[in-house]
Amino acid sequence: MVITTMDYLTIALPKGKLFSLSADLFAKIGYTAEGLSEKSRKLVISNEEKKIKFIITKTADVPTYVEYGAADIGVIGKDVLMESGQDVYELLDLGFGRCHLMMAVPRQQKRADLASYAHTRVATKFPHIAERFFNSKGMQMEYIKLNGSIELGPIVGLSESIVDIVETGATLRENNLEEIVPIMDATARLIANRVSFRLKFDRIHQMVEDLRYILESEVKK
Amino acid sequence: MQANDIVLEIPYGTRDFLPHEAAEKRQLETTLADLFASWGYDEIVTPTIEYLDTLTMGNGHVLEPHMFKFFDKNNRTLALRHEMTTPIARVAASRLKDETLPLKLSYISSVYRYEQTQTGRQCEFYQAGVEFMGSGTAAADAEVIALAAEGLRRTGLQNFQICLGQVDFINGIMQQFQLDDAMQTKIKAAMEQRNLVGLEALLEQTTLAKSARELLRRLPLLHGGEAVLAQAYDIAVTEQSRRALDNLAAIYHLLEEYGVAGQVQFDLGVIRDFNYYTGMVFEVYTPGLGFPLCGGGRYDHMLSDFGSACPATGFALGIERIMLSLERQGLRMPQIRKDIYLAYAPGKLAAALHKAQEYRQQGQVVELAPAAQSEREAADYQTGKAYQKLVYIS
Repeated sequence: MVITTMDYLTIALPKGKLFSLSADLFAKIGYTAEGLSEKSRKLVISNEEKKIKFIITKTADVPTYVEYGAADIGVIGKDVLMESGQDVYELLDLGFGRCHLMMAVPRQQKRADLASYAHTRVATKFPHIAERFFNSKGMQMEYIKLNGSIELGPIVGLSESIVDIVETGATLRENNLEEIVPIMDATARLIANRVSFRLKFDRIHQMVEDLRYILESEVKK
Repeated sequence: MQANDIVLEIPYGTRDFLPHEAAEKRQLETTLADLFASWGYDEIVTPTIEYLDTLTMGNGHVLEPHMFKFFDKNNRTLALRHEMTTPIARVAASRLKDETLPLKLSYISSVYRYEQTQTGRQCEFYQAGVEFMGSGTAAADAEVIALAAEGLRRTGLQNFQICLGQVDFINGIMQQFQLDDAMQTKIKAAMEQRNLVGLEALLEQTTLAKSARELLRRLPLLHGGEAVLAQAYDIAVTEQSRRALDNLAAIYHLLEEYGVAGQVQFDLGVIRDFNYYTGMVFEVYTPGLGFPLCGGGRYDHMLSDFGSACPATGFALGIERIMLSLERQGLRMPQIRKDIYLAYAPGKLAAALHKAQEYRQQGQVVELAPAAQSEREAADYQTGKAYQKLVYIS
């Protein structure tokens, strides 16, 4: 069985839109490896000289790799992290990958207030976050877990509303949906395994400081 | 699904220990039990089920949603014990109340938590630990830490690290900034989860000066060797924080004498998630296992919750996690001994069983054939069951 050794720092990067942003940021602090690309067929890419291993995984799996210590460090959106509920340390807000999680309904069927949607059906990829949100409003809902094209839910009568991520709002408009309440804003986070954080403290701490320095100097520019 | 399939399943979060696993577990537990006894800790056994009210005494209510609960005939709520400290505190505050202090007790028990199963932890899992009650000294704290380290060493684990912290250090710092209780709770929760992003966001909401916010932001990063203590003294302004650091320094010097200081790192953030700790807290980690092997600390208020105030300190080791770490680090424990397979020709049972007894008295592990066998059958059996030697009585 492959386990993370003390010599290497293993970093899990998610496929998709966060990949290149994360890889570029790590490269700026000297964390890179030859052939590190999203399209790489190799799943583990090492830099023997700097004792770094990158693993490229499906987005939703990053927190799992990190929680179990198969990766020491990971990059993941706060939305996915909250939904997973995994017990990992959240070390740094990387600032990129900004998105907005909200509830939307078909424009024609908009009701007077949020409370009047109680006990209706909501389609979402984020049932845990949605449930926590509605519970905090004292509302019970029927959650329908979908894995994509959430906007389709209300159109075909599968649900009365959706809870989903929006970036520009274009998809909502095209499907005649309207945001009625914001739930959370999310950005990419640097996460760490709780044991690795202790056992490899010096390396991880230095990495966080270096990343923080880069991020802060970019904000100033 | 066929009825038989259901009968063969086991409930979520439970496991069978097959013979070689059970043998390893037994050996590990024996090693630890002997060690605890040699340090003067007496074993105690408490019921697997307790009243829910007992287990949720003090801060147990935090874990209440994770307890297995049911009712007795009088409809009182019972629960499976979720850890051993609370039941032992109950005994210490009641039936052992008049014993000479300090009380040194040890246990090796199953405990139960209804939660997502993790590496080396099912809903039912095994813990070995000690409780040292009736002493509030650094010497008592150092003793339990040294004993935990010695326990791990005896099991064969060499490569592990002890992270040592002190609850009062953070509490004192909080006092120094006069934050209200709600904010303190939120900040501590963020520190405990090492949610540094959340912590920063919380600090932005306070009216604290920039320097104070920066100091609090960096608290969870106070990690390292002895030098960290010196750094911490620069931050600690209140009596409470300074006393906490003095306490850690005293414990550390004793651990040097015990010869385990080399494996100790300070971690002055919030380490343990239990709210009942009142002083020193520690966790032990090993490479290759993403979860702690051992956790412990001082809990001076727990016994007073049961009506008999008394300072106390202790730890619990996770048996399955130690087994898993040994396996992953290639340190498997010796296999079950299989010395002699003893078979016999028809009519020779009496002679065979006398012979078997003789060997057993010499300390050999002997399996007697279930019935008369030919020498050839016996040889097959010996190989199949991996016995070292075949003895055939003809």
